[in-house]
Order: sequence, then structure tokens, then C-alpha cells
Amino acid sequence: MATEIVIPMLGITVEKGKIIEWLKNEGDPVEKGESIFVVEADKVTTEVESPASGILAKILLPEGVEVPLLTVVGVITRPGEEVPAKYLKAAAAVATTTPSGPEFAVSRPPPPAPTPVARTAEDVIRIVPAARKLAREKGLDLRTLTGTGPEGVILFKDVQTTAATVAEPSPKVSTLARRQAAKEGVFLAALQGSGVRGRVMRADVERAIRQEKAPRLGKVIPMDTMRQVIARRMSESAFNAPHIYFFTEIAMDPLLTFRQEILADFEVRYGRHLSINDFLIKAVALNILDFPILNATIRDKEILIPSDINIGLAVALPEGLIVPAIALADKAGLAEIAYQRTDLVKRAQSGKLTMAEIERGTFTISSLAQYDITQFTAIINPPQSGILTVGKTREELYLLNGNVASRKVATFGLAVDHRIIDGVVAAEFLQHLKLKLEKPTFTFLHL
Amino acid sequence: MHDLAIIGGGPGGYVAAITGAQKGLKVLLVEKDTLGGTCLARGCIPTKSFFYDSKLFKAARTSTVLTGTQTLAIDPQKMKARKQQLVQTLSAGLESVIRSNGIKVVQGIGQLMSPGRVRIVAHDGSISLYEAHHILLATGSRPAVPSFIDVDGHLVQTTDEALDAEDIPRNLVIIGGGVIGLEMASIYLNLGSQVTIIELLPDIIMTEDHDIRRTMRQLLDRGGAAVFLNAAVQEIARQAERVAVTFKDETGGIQTLRADRLLVATGRTPVLDGIDPDQLGLATRGAFVKVNHRLETSLNGVYAIGDMVGGMMLAHKASAEAEAAVANILGADKTVKPEWIPRCIWGLAEIGAVGLTEEQARQTGRNIRTGKFPYSAGGAAMALGDTNGFTKIIGDADSGEILGVHILGEHATDLISEPVSAMIMESAVEDLYQAIRPHPTLSETVGEAARAWNNLAIHLPVFGTR
Repeated sequence: MATEIVIPMLGITVEKGKIIEWLKNEGDPVEKGESIFVVEADKVTTEVESPASGILAKILLPEGVEVPLLTVVGVITRPGEEVPAKYLKAAAAVATTTPSGPEFAVSRPPPPAPTPVARTAEDVIRIVPAARKLAREKGLDLRTLTGTGPEGVILFKDVQTTAATVAEPSPKVSTLARRQAAKEGVFLAALQGSGVRGRVMRADVERAIRQEKAPRLGKVIPMDTMRQVIARRMSESAFNAPHIYFFTEIAMDPLLTFRQEILADFEVRYGRHLSINDFLIKAVALNILDFPILNATIRDKEILIPSDINIGLAVALPEGLIVPAIALADKAGLAEIAYQRTDLVKRAQSGKLTMAEIERGTFTISSLAQYDITQFTAIINPPQSGILTVGKTREELYLLNGNVASRKVATFGLAVDHRIIDGVVAAEFLQHLKLKLEKPTFTFLHL
Repeated sequence: MHDLAIIGGGPGGYVAAITGAQKGLKVLLVEKDTLGGTCLARGCIPTKSFFYDSKLFKAARTSTVLTGTQTLAIDPQKMKARKQQLVQTLSAGLESVIRSNGIKVVQGIGQLMSPGRVRIVAHDGSISLYEAHHILLATGSRPAVPSFIDVDGHLVQTTDEALDAEDIPRNLVIIGGGVIGLEMASIYLNLGSQVTIIELLPDIIMTEDHDIRRTMRQLLDRGGAAVFLNAAVQEIARQAERVAVTFKDETGGIQTLRADRLLVATGRTPVLDGIDPDQLGLATRGAFVKVNHRLETSLNGVYAIGDMVGGMMLAHKASAEAEAAVANILGADKTVKPEWIPRCIWGLAEIGAVGLTEEQARQTGRNIRTGKFPYSAGGAAMALGDTNGFTKIIGDADSGEILGVHILGEHATDLISEPVSAMIMESAVEDLYQAIRPHPTLSETVGEAARAWNNLAIHLPVFGTR
């Protein structure tokens, strides 16, 4: 005897569900316990198992139609068994009325009576599979079809009705164009015909196929390994570490002057060019000595503070970004830092860094000082706990003892992992860094 | 200053002139001889005049209902006179049409001096210079003759001389089994001459479908023609009023044939009188002028069409290119698709063909299906009295695209137009049997062949199980 398939009870508060996908076709053999369709209710999807073994003899509810729970949606028969007539009637009924008839549903408040619903382009077009196939064969634009099924679902007979009103073969479309359109699923109604008197020719269909593919798909760029790593690490950091941000303005004249004063001698003595970044790296490293928590890493329920202070410097590459770290920046002299920085940046650009040079970083500096970027935030480079951002050095007017004066200033930003670094600590870190950079002679005195 | 100067007033040039005038261009047309070109004076039209005369003669002689046909004769001088009258009438008509379009026609040899500049040397030697924004070269072709053969116009002829001959040779050797050779052979066979065809290639009319070629060979054989394939002519000698043709046959043996006349039909070569490609820097492809898909030559503003650019050397191909070239001059981007150019041959049977041969279609790797319907299965051909022939359709089994149609038999040259239209309108093979066909006509064979393509022919027996 035939077994009914129903939409099961899906929860106490759930009243309706819709099948979003039949996993079996009519005529397929099914096993009891095998998933037979996917139902969606309250945005939750559930696979529903077959209540019996046999043949899925009749699908009574097409995909995409919302019905009350316990509605009969299909019939399973034993091999050789006929589908009982009442279900065939029900199948016909589902095509014309709501699936709430007594023959195949338990009593539930009936959904509103269906009215023909004209489709718009924005709608998801709901259409029974046979109707979709027919529409494709006839080259009909689904958006132009009017569905008379439950909630406007387009039924086979709707397509038949429309197809009958469309003269075939239409004088406006060449046979080969029509066939190609049907094969490729191109909506002929939307096409401009290039043939005589606007006749749609195959070239028009082919052009539509090309154009349809182009803007919708755009360009597909497979992520290379670097991009995959960046993507993974950035989202890991953004989702796992609650970031808080702090900004301060640091007067840059003292540091710029200081650098200018020692630059020539430094080059003569050490044979290296000293950049502002070298001072920043050193100052940050010294500052971390005062605030070791900025050097920390979270490991399970512990906070790990490495003894080395290795300052990473974000280096932009054409295909991404890489952050090699200057080792032992707290202990290293400016010459050593300048040497390491020059070497690491050069090798970063030629793709010759070692994993150790990238992974050893304990804190990161990211500078966009070369751009007209006043300030910006950054995502912490995991498993680190802080990142310093450096904006462009700009000139500004300020009051000095009541007189207007000009100075060079840059906005520094600090992002920290709020799980282990409190706002006050971050503020003090930035405050101290400001002091160090604004009094370079004192800061770099012992170097 | 003209908008368009056209050198050559054949079916390419004059169609371009009229098309240009219709589009409002100021057109100059230069013709060295008669308007209508080779087609009208020495090609399509004269051969058709002779073809129908010879066919009438043969039909009368072989008629089963006429009496007194044993003493029937045909007067070659009257044939020639009819042809000349015909050419004259057509040429005069054409000239009035051209002039009514406001086209300036100048007689003389048009020389291309440089892009935009044309020099015309009239028959009296006077020179005139013209400038034009665009120049269209449409100088056509002339018979190509192997260097070891000297055409004397009497014993050794090309079609140019043969179409002006006033006698019918008792026996004739034709070098070349292409379209021209075949058409001339048919005329002379109909007139009762003994005809021998010597062809260098492995088959006659090599561009055509194998079924067409096979049937045509059978018809030639039955018509009494001798055909030597893979045969290379080596020497021509004249002995008294006869010509001896020595050739190497396909077995390598040397044979010599003696005949009243030798007709050289070994193809045609472009006419480049007054156009010096080297001096102009005009790119060529072999002997032909090289053009791109828009029919532009390598020279700025200079277009070329017709026989001189190679491809199928057919009047209607030149005319189609003329229209495309003028459209392109006016900014369009038109290409003449070779697949849509019909090919017609008036031989012992007419041949009308378009698109790919079966061999070519199979080489595309597509899923090919053919449908064939014999003339003998239809009432029209029976009543007409000639059941030699068939219509064959080659289509893509998946899309129904008509890839090629090959018709051999009475009216084939007319019948091919319907498939050409169908192809241009992108009809499928099935469309060809949607149209109701008048009965009894030969056009029914097109519908039946299309039905046969779908295994649905009405007037064919079913072999095996359906």
C-alpha cells in the first residue's frame, strides 16, 4: 500500500515549511531512512528521510512552495503498485489550488487563495521543473510568464498557454537563433535583432551569451598562497581579537632634525642610510620594554610574553603584503636596525625571506607615511597583540606660548587586542612612545 | 572629386556603382570594354545562350515524340547572332540603368596611381585624371593559359574565342575539367561534337560534393565524352588544320589525341592592367589582390572585389562583395560568407550547390546527417522527361543548421536559391518542409530531401524498419 510523505513537524513554533530541493525524482527507488527532500522553515533547512522503502511514485508539491506542516508532499509505492487515484487528483489539484485539500493534508488554516502573480525581474522565479523544461524548449522568458499555481508558482499549463499565444516559428527570430537560445537558456525577448527588420539572428544570441557571461562573472582571480594566508590570518585576527584603537599626534620636527643632524656622520661611520622607520622601530622596541604586555601572545588561557622583542615592518608587495621582523630591536643599535631593515625589505621584495624572519615578529609597525593618509586602523598581525600605524607627516599650525607656530606632525594609531590589553595600558604605551619620539636625543642617547 | 571611383564595370563594379549611387555617393565607373564585363560579354550570358540552344537541339534530336528529327541541324552562325543580340540588348539595358542612377561612366583603362587617384587612358590614347575618396578595384579576370600553349583563336582557343566561333568542331579536346571546361564540354556534346576532357586533378569539378561529381562523371560517360583524370598535358602541336595534344595519363603512359580544336579551360587569372602592385605597395595573395574580411586592400581607402581577389570566381560573388564593400565604405562591417554563395554549373545536368560538401561538413567534427531525394521519385521530373538528378541536404543533426545543399538535375541552378535564402535566414532543415510546395514541380525535391534528412520523406520507400 502507498505511503504518504509529509512535511514533518519541525518545531513547536514552526507552522509552515517549503521544500527547497527534492533529492529524488519521480520514479526513483527510495530506501527508508534515505534523505528524500530538503525542507526549509524559519530559515532552517532540514533533510527529511523517506518514511518507507519503494518507489517515489508521485511528487505532489513542487519546490519552493510554502505549505503547512504535515502536508502530504509525495507518495511512495511498492514496485508495480499503481499510484492511488486520489493522489493523482491531488497532483492535479496542486497545480490549480492550494495544497490544503482534505485528501492530502491534515486540517490547517488554509493559506490565502492563489491569485495569478505577474513576475518581476527581482523575484525568484518559482516554476515546476516540467514547466521550466518546456519554457526552455519554447525559448520563453520565465519573467514574462504568469504563474497560477500556489503563490504564483509557474505551472506546466501556464507555459503551455503562453507558448500557444507565441506564434511559432516566430518571424522575429531565426530558427537557429531560437534553438541556440533554448539550448543556452537565453531570453529571446530581451534581445535586439540585427537581422532584416529586427529579426533575431544567431549572432545576436551568441553576443548575448558572451555579454551575459562577462558582466555577471567579471574576472575570476584564483587566490595565490600568499593571498590565502593573508585572507585567513586577517579574518582570524579580526574575528578572534577584539580590537580597540587609539590615536595620537606626534610632533615630528625633533626627530626629523635629529635624523638630519646625525645622518651624514652615521653614513660615514656605519655605511648605512638611516630612515625614520629605523627610529620608529627602535623607539617602539624601547617602549615595549616599558610595556611588555604589548609583546604578548595568547596561548589557551595563558598570556605568553616572549623575551625577544622583534618588530615587524609591513612591506607592500605587488601581490600582497608581507611582514618581516627586525630581530631583537630592543637590543640592536640603530645601525643594526638599519642594516636588518634594508636587508629584509630588499629580500621581501624579491621573495627571498625565510619563514623564521616572518614568524618571529612580536609587534608590528605599518606605515602609510608615503601616502596622503592622515590616519588609519590596522588589523593585528596574529598571534601578536598590537600594531602601530603611522600616517603622513604634515605641517600644521599650533599655539606655542600663545603664538601661532608651525610644526610637522604625524598621527600614530595603535590597535591592541582588548582581551589582554586594557585601554589605559594602550593609552600609556602610545603616550610614552610620543614622548620618546618627540625627545629623540634623550631616547637614542645611549645608542 | 568623387566619393567612389570604381575600376571595372562587370557584375562587381556596376553593382557597386548602383549601390553607391543608391546610398547617395557620387560615383565614377571606369570600363575598358562593355558594361557587364566578362559575365555579360564573354562568360555567363553567352555560354547560357549557347547552352540553351545546344540543349534545345539535343532535346529535339533525342525526342521520342518529334518526327523528322534525323535531318535536324543547328546553325552556329545563328547561335552566334542570337548571342550577340542578347549581349547587346543586355549591355544597352545595363548602361541605361547605370546612367539613370547618375553614375559617371568613363570608357578606358583605369589605372590606380595612388590611393584616391585614378588615371584613365581612353582607347584613343587620351588621358584623364580623377580623384575619389574611395577607390574600388573590380577589374575581374581573364583566361589563364599555361605558358607552353599559344592560343591562336582558331585551332587553340579559350572561351573568349570559342564564344565567337562560327563553326562547330567535329571533335574537340578540352584541357581542364573545372566549371568552365564542363560547361563548354556540355555545349559541344549537345551539338554533337566528340569531346575529350583532360584534367590534371583526380576528379572533375573538385570543389563539389562527391555525389555530384560521381553523377556528373556518369552523365559525361553516357554522353560519349572521354575524361582523363590525373592527366598532365605536355605538348601541343599543330598538323595541317588539326591540333595534337600530348599528355601523360594517370598510369604514366604518354598519349596523343588529334582534334579539330583545343579549348584551354585551365582557370582564370586576375586582370591587373593599370594596377602595379609592386609600385603601389599593394599586397597580393598569389596572383590575386589581397583583401581583409571588409574587402579592404592594403592601401588606405582602396577596396577590391570579385575575381581579382580570388575565391569563387562567380559573377554573383562579385556582386555580393560589391554591396558589402560599399556598405563598408559607408562604415559598416560586412563580410561575404563563402558558405552562403551558391555555385551553379550548366553541364549535361545543371548543378546548384551552396555551403559545405559532405566531406567538408564531416571534417568540421559536427554531428552530420544527410538527406537525399532523387528526381526519379517525383512526378515533375518524370513529366519533364529528365529524371537524372537528386537533391541532397547536409545538416547539423543537433541544431538542424543547413550546412550544405547540392542539387543536380533540371532547374538545379534555380532551385538552389531557396536553400540559400533558408540558410541566410538561419532556418533549420525542418523549416524547408514547412513551406507548401506546388505540385508537380522540381521544388518538391528540396522539401522531400529535407524530410528525408529527418527520415520523413513521403515519396520514398522505407527500407528495413523505421
